[in-house]
Amino acid sequence: MSSFVVEMKGINKNFGEVCAVKNGHIQVEKGEIHALIGENGAGKSTMMKLLYGLFPHDAGDIWVSEKQIKNMTPKRAIDLGIGMVHQEFMLVNELTVLENILLGFEPKKGLTVDFATGRAQVQQFIDQYGLDIQMDKRIHQISVGEAQRVEIIKILSRGAEIIILDEPTAVLTPQEADGLFEILKKLKADGKSVIFISHKLDEVMKISDRISVMRQGAYIGTVQKTETNPAQLAQMMIGREVFLNIKKSEVNSGAKVLDVQDLWTSGEKEISKIRGISFEVHEGEILGIAGIDGNGQSELIEAITGLRKVEKGKVILAGEAITNLSVSNIRAKGMTHIPEDRNKRGLNRALTIWENIIATHIGDQAFSKNKVLSLQHSIDYANELAEQFDIRPRDVTMPTQSLSGGNAQKVVVAREVAMNGKLLVASQPTRGVDIGAIESIRSILEKVKEQGTGVLLVSADLEEILSLSDRIIVMFEGKISGTLTASEATDTKLGYLMMGGKTEEAAHA
Amino acid sequence: MTFEKIINLSLIYATLRSATPIIYASLCAAITQQADILNIGTEGIMLTGAFTAVTVSYLTGSWLLAVIVAMLAGLVMASVIAVGHLKYGAEITAIGIGINMFALAFTKYMLNSLLGKTGSFTDPKIIGIPKVHLAFLDNSPALNELFNNWAVTEWFAFILVGILTFVLFKTVWGLRLRAVGKFPMAAQTAGINVTAMRYQALAISGLVGGLAGAHLSLGYSKMFTENMTNGRGFMGVAAMFFGGAHPVLTAIGCLVFGFADSIGARLQAYGVPSQFVLLMPYVVTVAVLAISMATKQSREARKKSALITTAPSTLTEKRG
Repeated sequence: MSSFVVEMKGINKNFGEVCAVKNGHIQVEKGEIHALIGENGAGKSTMMKLLYGLFPHDAGDIWVSEKQIKNMTPKRAIDLGIGMVHQEFMLVNELTVLENILLGFEPKKGLTVDFATGRAQVQQFIDQYGLDIQMDKRIHQISVGEAQRVEIIKILSRGAEIIILDEPTAVLTPQEADGLFEILKKLKADGKSVIFISHKLDEVMKISDRISVMRQGAYIGTVQKTETNPAQLAQMMIGREVFLNIKKSEVNSGAKVLDVQDLWTSGEKEISKIRGISFEVHEGEILGIAGIDGNGQSELIEAITGLRKVEKGKVILAGEAITNLSVSNIRAKGMTHIPEDRNKRGLNRALTIWENIIATHIGDQAFSKNKVLSLQHSIDYANELAEQFDIRPRDVTMPTQSLSGGNAQKVVVAREVAMNGKLLVASQPTRGVDIGAIESIRSILEKVKEQGTGVLLVSADLEEILSLSDRIIVMFEGKISGTLTASEATDTKLGYLMMGGKTEEAAHA
Repeated sequence: MTFEKIINLSLIYATLRSATPIIYASLCAAITQQADILNIGTEGIMLTGAFTAVTVSYLTGSWLLAVIVAMLAGLVMASVIAVGHLKYGAEITAIGIGINMFALAFTKYMLNSLLGKTGSFTDPKIIGIPKVHLAFLDNSPALNELFNNWAVTEWFAFILVGILTFVLFKTVWGLRLRAVGKFPMAAQTAGINVTAMRYQALAISGLVGGLAGAHLSLGYSKMFTENMTNGRGFMGVAAMFFGGAHPVLTAIGCLVFGFADSIGARLQAYGVPSQFVLLMPYVVTVAVLAISMATKQSREARKKSALITTAPSTLTEKRG
């Protein structure tokens, strides 16, 4: 038995090898706004998708309105009064607002859809909650804020009593977000229960009654809003872990090696569009870029390395403008790059280690003459690097497919570091690799810096940022939300900035 | 005057006539396209239908029975695609091509073993689809030439365009099918069984494809020839793209093909190489597709740009 309107206990969910949720837990009371917070990949969305029955859970119990539910499906969830506004709206762009709302629950007149009745029903919800929408517009013609209101009406019209919102403010302007909070308060006043997924602490503090925290797929705890503060929440989200202690060398920074001036570039999402970023990297320093995934870090790196068009602003590498040059051109001028996704951009996994190692400078005299590869020379060179960077197994004629994540990443690191560029861009250099490889890759980055190369490090891993960087900039929604030196940075301060806090406030956090 | 000899009423009739088999084929492709399934197998489904119709008509003497069995044969072919693609995850293009090659070889084999013929099959015992003679048109030479003596299935092609438009855009089933095609996750979260909808779309497509074949062999002609579809299924697919899978626009695309087909035959008589004329609809298709893709891409780029602050949506926002 469960006296909660929703209770999930001991939930486990694996996707293949990846564990998305382990021992997930949440209890929601009727008529409350319950925030579910955590970093990217903490398992918040997965928990709620399991509740909505989008995929089955591996273990654990789900109770809805005091009934235990096995084999949840979206259809079942809807029947139980659960409605979910997904992060990516479940609206068909080409259909009208009205068609989208009625879809699946159409009032019928014979075989046809009774749009008149449907329209009247929808109008009731519009009036009751003051949700302003235009029923005859197609989805692609309306704003994101309006689309979200359409989603809310859609689930209300399906009789939702439990409303899940997955990062609803991620796509909204602050004004739109305030409008959404007003709607949520009305829903609450009407006795509906709201589960609100977020990683923005200020809005969580503003809107919720209780807050549950998840970290790395696990449940951390639940607190009353009135008994907590943003600093405590940030700490729960990020956790206190022992840092891998790398003895950080003295900063011996020299001339400017990378100068980014008022850079603007396109983004896959609204919050990942880069709108006016400026910073510098000097010789012999590591500049860390921290931030929650998807706040524009990937777009920024792509713009600097020539993979994405710079719409405005300048990128200067060692005094030479490289804005919108081709990738090979930029590389020739001294840029080296460990891309964030080794499977997509770092390696050709079907090719061998040596082929991958010479891939970026295959045209050099050393590796090819008159368009013909110097096979032996290439293999010798690769063997040398395999030895130096401890790539295992030591057989460079092996396809990279058969390497572990850590060794595959070492191939990329070896190739880029051995080029001795002026700047090394390292994007998520230790993502998804084992602890041994993490250590060795981090110490390689240290060495690169000691040799006087500038390093631009992007990592979602705060520990990595803190243990390596000499200076840290924090990105939030495509802008820099704060700059800290290594000595003043703490995980709590960074966490605060990562959630859009201000530097002054972070100082007190 | 040469021009008048080329452009006259009988050209319009010829256009409609040669367009109808392609209209059926394009509708076969359009239904599945609405569920986001590219039915390359249209050609094979149609060819199977054509062979089945002639055989059944020859054996039973009933055109109606022949049409019905041809539609069922189309359904069987579509079911193979459905099970292969939806249940076992076969690549839709690969399985479509497979169906086409199978149909080509199978009808050839059956023509040989069942009817004992090679190349083509004609027989007085084949009962064609009857023509509709409207007596009141006899008095008007123009209307008589245009509209009289159409095969039943020629009239029905245009009725079917209307029926499918109604089904797709007015019925509950149509709304759900379009949602499944455009954004399956959205349909799934609305409690719709996406896979079941796709099966249904392929089944109906098979019935229409079978009918396309029956019309080709019993309405448009009264015989079966090896590979008699001769690319009409693919033209149907092209017309479907041209019309964005909307039945009416798709049918208009088919009329372009039909027109090119009939005018080409005439121009040839005046020394114009028909290949050039036959090329036109394809050139038009490529141009239309290219232009629509280019506009779509630039729209996408604008959406992602950091310099543009989603202006149109801000406007609608202020309205509220």
